[in-house]
Amino acid sequence: MATLRLECLRKSYGRVSALNGVDLEVHDGEFFALLGPSAAGKTTTLRAIAGLETLDGGRVLLDGEDLTEVPVRRRNMAMVFQSFALYPHLSTANNLAYPLREAGLPRREIAKRVQETAELLRITHTLKRKPASLSGGEQQRLAIGRAIIRQPRLFLLDEPLTNLDAKLRHAMRAEFKRLHRELKATMIFATPDQLEALSMGQRVGILRDGRIVQIGTADELYLGPRDNFVAQLVGDPPMNLIPATLRRDRNGARLELPFAAIDTARLPSSVEAFQPGTEFLLGIRPHDLRLVGDDRRGIAFEAEIRLAEPQGDITILDLHAGGADLRLVVAEIEGARRTPGETISLAFEPARTRLFMKDSGLALG
Amino acid sequence: MTTVATTKPGFFERFFARHRGPLLVSPAILVLVAMNIFPLFWSFGLSFYKYRANRQAEPVFVWFDNYIKILSDPVVWSRFQTTAIFVAISVLFQLIVGFLLAVLFEKQFPGRRVLLMLVLTPMMLSFVAVGAFFRYYYEPTFGLLSQAIKAITGEPFIILQSPAGAIGAIIFADVWMWSPFVMLLVLAGLVSVPKHLYEAAEIDRVSWWRRFRTITFPYIRGLLLLAVLFRTIETFKLFDAVFLITEGGPGTSTETIAVYVYRVAFQYFRTSESAALGYILLFVVVVLTNLYLFFVQRRARET
Repeated sequence: MATLRLECLRKSYGRVSALNGVDLEVHDGEFFALLGPSAAGKTTTLRAIAGLETLDGGRVLLDGEDLTEVPVRRRNMAMVFQSFALYPHLSTANNLAYPLREAGLPRREIAKRVQETAELLRITHTLKRKPASLSGGEQQRLAIGRAIIRQPRLFLLDEPLTNLDAKLRHAMRAEFKRLHRELKATMIFATPDQLEALSMGQRVGILRDGRIVQIGTADELYLGPRDNFVAQLVGDPPMNLIPATLRRDRNGARLELPFAAIDTARLPSSVEAFQPGTEFLLGIRPHDLRLVGDDRRGIAFEAEIRLAEPQGDITILDLHAGGADLRLVVAEIEGARRTPGETISLAFEPARTRLFMKDSGLALG
Repeated sequence: MTTVATTKPGFFERFFARHRGPLLVSPAILVLVAMNIFPLFWSFGLSFYKYRANRQAEPVFVWFDNYIKILSDPVVWSRFQTTAIFVAISVLFQLIVGFLLAVLFEKQFPGRRVLLMLVLTPMMLSFVAVGAFFRYYYEPTFGLLSQAIKAITGEPFIILQSPAGAIGAIIFADVWMWSPFVMLLVLAGLVSVPKHLYEAAEIDRVSWWRRFRTITFPYIRGLLLLAVLFRTIETFKLFDAVFLITEGGPGTSTETIAVYVYRVAFQYFRTSESAALGYILLFVVVVLTNLYLFFVQRRARET
């Protein structure tokens, strides 16, 4: 049982502030992802939870118990460091056994736990070797093993997959989900990669400049980003943000884009209250743009292809339309037929867009 | 008559151009040969003769007589023993003090830089200055140590009076001077331990002692070994502190082998014997130095 609550965590290093009031609640048994660009405060948040940082303000509560002043070793948390922090002069087996050494367990019990953990993580063949001779994936699993060998109240994983190559990263994502299912423990992991966060985390908290911007499930964040920062962070390729201006004349109100105009009645959120001339950003997911032939439902426009980025199964097309840059995702077969410089017809459904204020970046509705 | 500016370069010009490097080094080499290498070989030859520098008599070739005489001389062995005592105790204390200083200076605290400079000073002083300084320090009538103890007991304290006191006094001076050297080496090891390992150990809830043994110590082990060898070689040759503070006394209780060589050579004028003894010392130091180099190379391979 472990429910974690962070209340207004503050931390600064000299003049640089790392945390500006982080509030967060992680439920018992939850696999929680902290997503944010580098220097957003992910690592500092994890270190604050572990007690490795002394806070300037705020409280860390675990199951209602205030841990803010409790020293690291009495918090009973396990942490996987981004650098893995394996003990270079100890063998894999001794690295694993390290957290158990002071627990007063009999030798045989320690050996048994080491064996079990190594089997769970499939690193039994490395037990006698030193960390330096292990592959990246093995080192990473060893780091995890050292965390799970004792039953901590909370797991903290600091960018556990960042140091791995792409292929291994994919395999380890599944591995982590399996581990979480088996251990049923509360886990918090930090990552700068939205794909990792969305695919692994049951809920994702988005950090920006030492503050939580939005917390939600993958769907909630993808479909309802609170502001343009979240909109661009979640989803790959990022959401297209197109400058838009509200116009009103005798034909009614409409939103003017560089390449098209949308009747305000068709927008997902009401803009009636705003003055004409108010500037917005219209967010369209690259997946919601479609190539059109005869079918011209929705808002149609023309765009010029600037660049094609084939990704194997899909192709990302960089487009230019009336002064705005856009991205479009098409199937590989479609993409192969297009060449840069070519003009194509596109359409999107206004109901699937999202409006942001240009000044504040906040979403409407 | 006009000379053409570009005549063929003369013999010397060509010679200098072609051999510039060797020519530049040659003065240094000449001095080295004259002052070091030639005397080295000369004294090696001398050690096989019967010869006294203060007599007119012709040197007589005696094969290994000098070496046999020295190695079967109980005085020589007792001087080796004295030296061994100095090496053992002094190096041990240098390690302990140096290590503790390193642990202290590993942490950041206000005034650390200034204090570090002060602690490093003894090492940079000249041997003679340190010797003279401690000689006055231990002086019975106005020396600081004697005065301080007199203030408590009312009696002047003559530390150099007893063999044990004299040995202790010299060792103290040596430790004072050379602990900073050990500290520098250990400190280099301590700061090379990645910080995240300590944090991981904190998370893993291991004790201070286990953390030191399994994380910190492996990083300083190699350097500590170098410190031991280096200080052993140096202390084995201990001469200046002894000569300046006690001159080997009281009696011969602090006469190290290095001081003894000096006496044999320049007070007893048994020149060829002292040359032989000098070569025996050189042999010991060469063995120790090779040991040192062996560990340096092994460390280089490790990292």
